[in-house]
Amino acid sequence: MNLEIFEQYNSGDVLWLGDWGLLWIVGLLVIGALVVGLSAYDLRPLKPLRRWTLVALRALVYLLAVAMLLEPALDLKNVSKVKNNVAVLVDTSSSMQLKTLEQGKGDEGSSRYALIRDFLPEFAALVEREKEAHEFTFFSYGESLAPSSRQALEKSKQPSAHASDLTQALIGVKKHYEGKEIGGVIVLSDGIDSGAIGRRTKRGEELDVTSQALLAELEAPINTVAAGRAEGLKDVAISRILHEDFGFVHNKLSVQVELQVIGMSEMSFPVTLRREGQVLQTRQVTLEPGKTRYLVDFDFVPEKIGKEIYAVSVPVFDGEALDRNNKGYFLLKVIRDKVRVLQVVGRPSWDERLMRRLLKRNPNVDLISFFILRTNQSLNNVRQEEMSLIPFPTQELFEQELGSFDLVIFQNFNFGPYDMRKYLPEIEQFVRDGGGFVMIGGDLSFASGGYTRTPIESVLPVELPPGSGDAVIDKKNFRPVLTEAGKRHPITQLAFDPATNAKLWGELPEQKGTNIVLGAKPWATVLARHESLTYNGERMPVITIGEVDDGRVMALTTDSTWRWGFEYLGKGGTPREYQLFWNNAIRWLIKDPELKLVKLEMAEDTHTPGAAVPLTVRVSKPDYTPAENVTGELEIVWRSLEGLSSDAEDKRETLPSIPFKTGASGVANLEYTPVKPGAYELRAKVAVADGELEDQSTMLVVDDVREWRDIIPRDALLESISNLTQGEHMALPDASVSNFAFAEPRAVKINRRKVIHLWDSAIMFLLILTLLGSEWTLRRRWGRL
Amino acid sequence: MHRRDFLTHSLAGALGVLGLPSSALAIGDDDRFTVSLLKYSDKGWNTRPTALRRMLQEVEKRTSVEIKPPPDGDHVTFGPDLFTRPMLFMCGESSFEPWSNERIDMMRQWMMAGGFLVVDSSEGVSDGPFLRSVRRELARIFPDEPERAIPTDHVIYKSFYLFNNDQNPYAEPHGRVEVDRKLRGHFDGDRVPVVISANDMLGAWARDGFGRWEYDVVPGGSPQRELSFRMGINLVMYALCVNYKADQVHIPFILKRRKWRVQ
Repeated sequence: MNLEIFEQYNSGDVLWLGDWGLLWIVGLLVIGALVVGLSAYDLRPLKPLRRWTLVALRALVYLLAVAMLLEPALDLKNVSKVKNNVAVLVDTSSSMQLKTLEQGKGDEGSSRYALIRDFLPEFAALVEREKEAHEFTFFSYGESLAPSSRQALEKSKQPSAHASDLTQALIGVKKHYEGKEIGGVIVLSDGIDSGAIGRRTKRGEELDVTSQALLAELEAPINTVAAGRAEGLKDVAISRILHEDFGFVHNKLSVQVELQVIGMSEMSFPVTLRREGQVLQTRQVTLEPGKTRYLVDFDFVPEKIGKEIYAVSVPVFDGEALDRNNKGYFLLKVIRDKVRVLQVVGRPSWDERLMRRLLKRNPNVDLISFFILRTNQSLNNVRQEEMSLIPFPTQELFEQELGSFDLVIFQNFNFGPYDMRKYLPEIEQFVRDGGGFVMIGGDLSFASGGYTRTPIESVLPVELPPGSGDAVIDKKNFRPVLTEAGKRHPITQLAFDPATNAKLWGELPEQKGTNIVLGAKPWATVLARHESLTYNGERMPVITIGEVDDGRVMALTTDSTWRWGFEYLGKGGTPREYQLFWNNAIRWLIKDPELKLVKLEMAEDTHTPGAAVPLTVRVSKPDYTPAENVTGELEIVWRSLEGLSSDAEDKRETLPSIPFKTGASGVANLEYTPVKPGAYELRAKVAVADGELEDQSTMLVVDDVREWRDIIPRDALLESISNLTQGEHMALPDASVSNFAFAEPRAVKINRRKVIHLWDSAIMFLLILTLLGSEWTLRRRWGRL
Repeated sequence: MHRRDFLTHSLAGALGVLGLPSSALAIGDDDRFTVSLLKYSDKGWNTRPTALRRMLQEVEKRTSVEIKPPPDGDHVTFGPDLFTRPMLFMCGESSFEPWSNERIDMMRQWMMAGGFLVVDSSEGVSDGPFLRSVRRELARIFPDEPERAIPTDHVIYKSFYLFNNDQNPYAEPHGRVEVDRKLRGHFDGDRVPVVISANDMLGAWARDGFGRWEYDVVPGGSPQRELSFRMGINLVMYALCVNYKADQVHIPFILKRRKWRVQ
């Protein structure tokens, strides 16, 4: 055999190619031991030297025979080590633009990124030196990880990523090298991590368990190079505004503002919260030595339903590194938690009883009731202390608290005896400002209650006759007859199918009389009329609704609807119709969004300039079926953020409208791309036969300033990461590439391989024959057969 | 022309156009408050025929509630008419036959829809044959809700008149007699759809056609009769307003006044 062949291989192993199980091998060895033992016993008459020579020869032959059965082979390999991977992560977030003071100098030095750029050329030598063991790949990271090159990173002038998510970058490295060996990571950054690790690890704290586990998953040393120092940095930043996305109207809401302050002398300054540009609250912050994080709490009560834009601002001081982080904006969606209803009743009755029961049982209604239990005409033969009566708090209700209600119900209530005339304009204004108001009939209601020619009449959807008292009342029983509008309006639609609805209205118990009204106002919609009473040739309205400025009103001229919820049961009916009628009426009166015929929807309320915003307009017919092929326009008005966050003028600009047309499902899908920051007021308008329907919404468009919210370098965070992963931590400009720690490559590559079968060679066969022959010869010679 | 005359003439004109009779009466005379007796059996259901009319007169005199005075012995039977009267009284002094299952179901539906039944025994004992019959039927209507004493802080004792105070811890169901110091009832949540009195309240209210009290009230005489009327008015107010006086807004006023005592 030519021995030179072995010189081509630097590694080898012995292989056993025979397909024998462990039991077989053990069995053969046991048999071999028996053979040797028996031989030694059989040969005991011989001299020891001869005896053990023969035993050794027999054992050797047996072992060689067994070895041939196991089919040994020599596995020769020429192997070389495989390089592992080193990822170099360069932070290209916006905060890297910030200037950093050079150590020992008072002046501004290079930007944080410039320090890295100056350091990157040193990597050429490192890559060359480690080329046998490590493969270097360069990445940039900001919002996400992106492959790059040293040359490209050196040429990069202005890092501009809106975030510096180091956590996601490290996870990205792990994914990038999935199935490959990572020899190390080098992070060049100011240490600000807007990702999970940075958020979980507060300044001055150790890495938490979750962050440690996340870093350990890389199974490689992470070397960190800090670019930028906190020394000399001067800044006041609104780093976070903690707020809910929505709040409940008339319910306290808390907003917490987190400030990062560095490099400022001891002083105090105001933090201002504005709502729609108006100053809502101001808090004073007093700086303390060595403290960088301050929390400011605001508590306030949203007063209107809808979307409101809030701004938080702090003053801009001389020498601040940035002024973009001195303001913050958020949009709050204010919704109602419960419908606040004021029920005022002139005298207890079954109508009041059933209405209160309905309202009290509705978990979405917060009911305040006031019943007049006793009048000045009532006999008073007991002391006031013996009765549970309380004064009727007219001023509190109709002057101070009126605005907190969503709906006011006057149920058979006359204002006259309670010195309330002075509050009637307040109630009118409440309706015009968006409140709901319903007057329910009775001998103290409408004209009988003295409402003719009062501010209340101006918001009622019906004309009242002159006069008062019994003369403006009709006591005949009747059944309301639905008008065309009433047949499809949600208030009077007790069943979806028109025929079933008509049948239900025909079966409901009769109403026991009505207040007399002269007709509906021009802007009102009559849902049901009297079956026989007429005025000017038209049947008298019984259920009438209307919109007055921003508010909604309803006039119901009877006081017997309670019979739909009680008497109807005696005829085999259910209270469902009564409940449905009033619940629908309440929903309509308070403008329940679900009952809007035009709905403008958007998934998110806050966007960045240049990002397309999907919008949906849903249009329904009055019977709430989808309105197909309806055209409309989306009107857009832009408002400047400056006007919302300061005393500057509230600049507005009307932008081009977007026309739309609904499809078969009554939906029009639109897309709008706001180009500049601001508040955008959107109004979807649809023309219908008797006017225009609309819905409006607001979106906030702000630059992504996440990166500017926290600009203080986090050298300590980088050092913690390196310490945990056995990497090296250095700070620029004093860093050196020769100090980085890498893991040695563990994988090898087989360049050449040869398997030599030892068992089927002639040498082996001859060797066994020779040994057998020697044993036979010696045995014969030494006198054994 | 005076302003009032002008309005009257204008109204007459308007009504003329409307085609209405100028003598139209007040809205919903049928909707004025009234109570009736429940004719629960062929006999024995009308032991106090004049009481309800007298009590309702007091309600109209003392409160803002407008009443429709019932004729003496006005009643409803089991049937659709039951659902025209959300408040009923049930009086008697003798046992009666068990109701059919249909009647039990009807009474249960009536009470669950908001009906309010006041059971008042004319027997003068706390556990007479009438009350035993009533309890037998109520146990069928409320199989899972046993009869309970109505707590003294219940809204029934403050729905118009204040009834219990520091000196008089018992909110007593004053009537012609005092055989039970507690009102009892069955509950539906926090509402009491049926109230049971053993003290013959209707006996204390009953007056003959000449205005004379039909029965003496013992042992308290006139003050006891006055308290009996107050309890009747409270029951009417509870029927009409339910837990209105339990609303938070009333609590400070009521607590302040819990110091009175009838002399």
